Amino acid sequence: MSEEWHQVSMTVDDVPRRARVRARYLLSDFLREQAGAGGVHVACGHGVCGACTVAVDGIAVRACLMLAVQADGAHVQTVASLSALEGAPASGRDGLTPLQAAFREHHALQCGYCTPGLLVSTALFMSQHKAAAALPGNPSPRRAAILDHLNGHLCRCTGYANIIAAIESVLP
Amino acid sequence: MSAAPERFGQRIRRREDPVLLTGQGAYLANLIRPGMACMRVIRSTAAHARIKRIDFTPIAADPACLGTLCAADLPTGVGTLPAMDLAADSAPARQRILADGTTRFAGEPIAVVLATDAYIAEDLAERVIVEYEPLPTVMDVHTGTQSNAPLLYPEFGSNIVHQTAQRVGDPDAAFAAANTIIEEEFSFRRLIASPLETRGAVAMLEPDTGRYLVYSSTQIPQVLRAELARLTGVSLGRLRVLAPRVGGGFGCKEAIYPEEILVLLALQKFGRAVYWLEDRAESFSATVHGREEHMRVRAALDRDGVVTAVEVDCLADIGAAYSLFSNTPSAAVATLRGPYRIPHFRSRARSVVTNKTPLNVYRGAGYPQVTLAMERIMDLAAAASGLDRAEIRRRNLLQPEEFPVDRGVSYPGCGAIVYDSGNYTALLASTLEAIGYDGFGARRAQGKEDVSLGLGLSFVVEMTSGGGAEPARLRLSSNGRLQLLSGVTAIGQGTETTLAQILSDHLGVAADTIDVVAGDTDDSPDAPGTFASRGATMGGNAACQAGDAFVLEARKLAAEIRETRPEHIEWKDGMLIERGSSHQPLTLSTLVSQAGALGLAATERLDVTARFEDTPVSFASACHAAVVSIDHATGVIRVLDYAVTHDCGRIANPLLVDGQIMGGVVQGLGGCLFEALEYSDTGLPLTQSYMDYILPTAATAPRFILRHIETPSPLNPLGMKGAGEAGCSGAGAAIVNAIADALGPAIALPGGTGPFTPGVVRDILRNAEGLRNAEGLRDAHGKDAPAC
Repeated sequence: MSEEWHQVSMTVDDVPRRARVRARYLLSDFLREQAGAGGVHVACGHGVCGACTVAVDGIAVRACLMLAVQADGAHVQTVASLSALEGAPASGRDGLTPLQAAFREHHALQCGYCTPGLLVSTALFMSQHKAAAALPGNPSPRRAAILDHLNGHLCRCTGYANIIAAIESVLP
Repeated sequence: MSAAPERFGQRIRRREDPVLLTGQGAYLANLIRPGMACMRVIRSTAAHARIKRIDFTPIAADPACLGTLCAADLPTGVGTLPAMDLAADSAPARQRILADGTTRFAGEPIAVVLATDAYIAEDLAERVIVEYEPLPTVMDVHTGTQSNAPLLYPEFGSNIVHQTAQRVGDPDAAFAAANTIIEEEFSFRRLIASPLETRGAVAMLEPDTGRYLVYSSTQIPQVLRAELARLTGVSLGRLRVLAPRVGGGFGCKEAIYPEEILVLLALQKFGRAVYWLEDRAESFSATVHGREEHMRVRAALDRDGVVTAVEVDCLADIGAAYSLFSNTPSAAVATLRGPYRIPHFRSRARSVVTNKTPLNVYRGAGYPQVTLAMERIMDLAAAASGLDRAEIRRRNLLQPEEFPVDRGVSYPGCGAIVYDSGNYTALLASTLEAIGYDGFGARRAQGKEDVSLGLGLSFVVEMTSGGGAEPARLRLSSNGRLQLLSGVTAIGQGTETTLAQILSDHLGVAADTIDVVAGDTDDSPDAPGTFASRGATMGGNAACQAGDAFVLEARKLAAEIRETRPEHIEWKDGMLIERGSSHQPLTLSTLVSQAGALGLAATERLDVTARFEDTPVSFASACHAAVVSIDHATGVIRVLDYAVTHDCGRIANPLLVDGQIMGGVVQGLGGCLFEALEYSDTGLPLTQSYMDYILPTAATAPRFILRHIETPSPLNPLGMKGAGEAGCSGAGAAIVNAIADALGPAIALPGGTGPFTPGVVRDILRNAEGLRNAEGLRDAHGKDAPAC
């Protein structure tokens, strides 16, 4: 089978990565196989569950629905960049960000498979939420906003209540 | 001096979390390395067919093809997958590793192709030609049990492959004497557990030893190792199986699958490391299904609302062959009576083969179905007797002083069913208070127009723990840390945290000096695995036994060092203290160094293995209550509030038990409101993605009110019972009862089991509306309304 190969470059968690890939090669595979980003978990491959969510130039993207060639030149951040996405340092003995620490405190994960993608998009949600809440005359209904955000993610273990509580605890 | 020990009963945060939260969890897909061959499975596209031809010639010369396997290539003796619950009189409907001659479900493995990467493997698999000669299909148990039905296995002469019957007392006499008889049918839809991590397996040679190393995303690595040895002829000594971090199981990873065998066969034949990763679409037909059953239940009531007898006839659709655990209906119907006394009982369960993916246990293993059936019957009995729904339950519950209660039935393969302990009346009282039962009438009356509120109750009594003797090994590391090697596979429940906490409490040492390792068959070759809500109870008691043996050895060693007798050495909170001596107590670290100075190897001496012998199963219990709303305009059902009072004996870590309950409830909610696997009439699976199979999302999660009552189990020293399944087992029943309550007594629930999607709810409401209008017209005009 003859397929065209393409040179692709991107930064993944601040490290420049280059590889020659086929056009059909998925971003999720690029991140896992070429960039060592083992925290990008593929769970459905259809863009429904959100487990593979990463930030591409600051926007939440399902890595299983984007081709690596489409991310050429992009700045990609996975869960390994959570501190930067959150704008808060990782701290403590375990080196957790405030969001990660809240997930642990509230038992908001069990098997952990959905967790990294959920953290990435929640960090992006939080910065949007903060920006929106800062606008005068725009009191954001917190819980509704959290549920709206979380509806892009599937978790089979927790029943969601603890995830909601964890996010509520870190929102301003 | 190290930190204080963790205590049994504390809400300890999980030690697993930092690794998982930072994306460093080593799941199966994280073990794939460059150079491994990717295995792609060619699956049957026919539900029932003779395989006329498998032709690899289109890819045979392709250099990208690293190898192929079909049934004809399998070594002699590599035949069929194991089935744990085949009884002596069962028809052995066994699945082959690769379909040979006949395929019996769409999705059945027929052949495999190996390639350098997943993309190429998929291309190659598409080019292999499989020619089918279609055979007539059996797609439901009703046609499958008719005398002229096509047969999946003509040699058995029937599609019924297993049946059991049990009886207690004299049900016929009780029905004859009944004041009222309630009768209801239930059809439980086919569901799939669908953990977010699909299945997968890797086979490679272990670098140092040359042994075969098989990784699988499984709940039962030890069983897999035994089956790999049986099926491939590789000796146990040359096989090591590991379960890496598992991304959810819920029962579907408690089976032995063709792909787990095939990766090893491919490694043997082609001499290179092989991996297989299931994709999601494939998973919907390649991974076991759950639940599908059809049940008829009759109950006899006396004048006072006491249920005197109940009988159940269950037809289970187990799919094309037995999986590892297919006969849950036989077992579960035997426990239909749940917490209720009901002196007379009869059950019959039959398992029927159909042209669908094999059925296996799925969280709750039959209890969600029997609980729903029994609890609907209780509500119908309340209505028929004119009694309050809580009152009729109160009148029928077993009382605290009656335990232990021999139910007079047996769980096939597990012996007599004896409820070990419980306090059902307290559970009911607690849950009624938690959900606001007494004030619910007022709450309902304040509801919005066009939105009905309803409240439903349910009660679960389910077997937990048991499942075989549980080993645990505890050893001292040279740095003075303790290493607990457990056979309990971690599948997301926090096993490492719980076991370390229990051992920390038991030995009085800081939990952060204990490392827990699980899921490696080298450490615990005979462990049963993780299923049936057994991990914490069996693993925890085994850890304590290993702790006791360890302390004994530590005292002996300390006595040698101090030149005294072990009786003079006391173990206290990780210190070895010589009675009546002014010597500094020995810590485990100083024990290592001082023993070393005397030429004694502490790490060899302090390496003990204990075996917590199998116990009869213990019965956990829970009373659930749900409040739902039904929007008449949209048909949307929302579960607003959900209360559970749960009794799993003594609780090691309430934080994790609550997590199990909430997760289980929402899984049960999904099965009740959204989920169903659909097939075409010709047996092709129509549900192949999360766009078709709708799982619960955050917006569907109710407000939880969780409570616990701790009635210790007398069956193990820690007094524990399992907690993994009680949430799932009771949720469907409570929610369906709440839906029925919201709709009101005039509207019957067809089938009564769901999924109650908005479309289904709108149909129910429209039909009810039509009936009301028709009756209204008949009243007005004295004749039938015209059909429209």
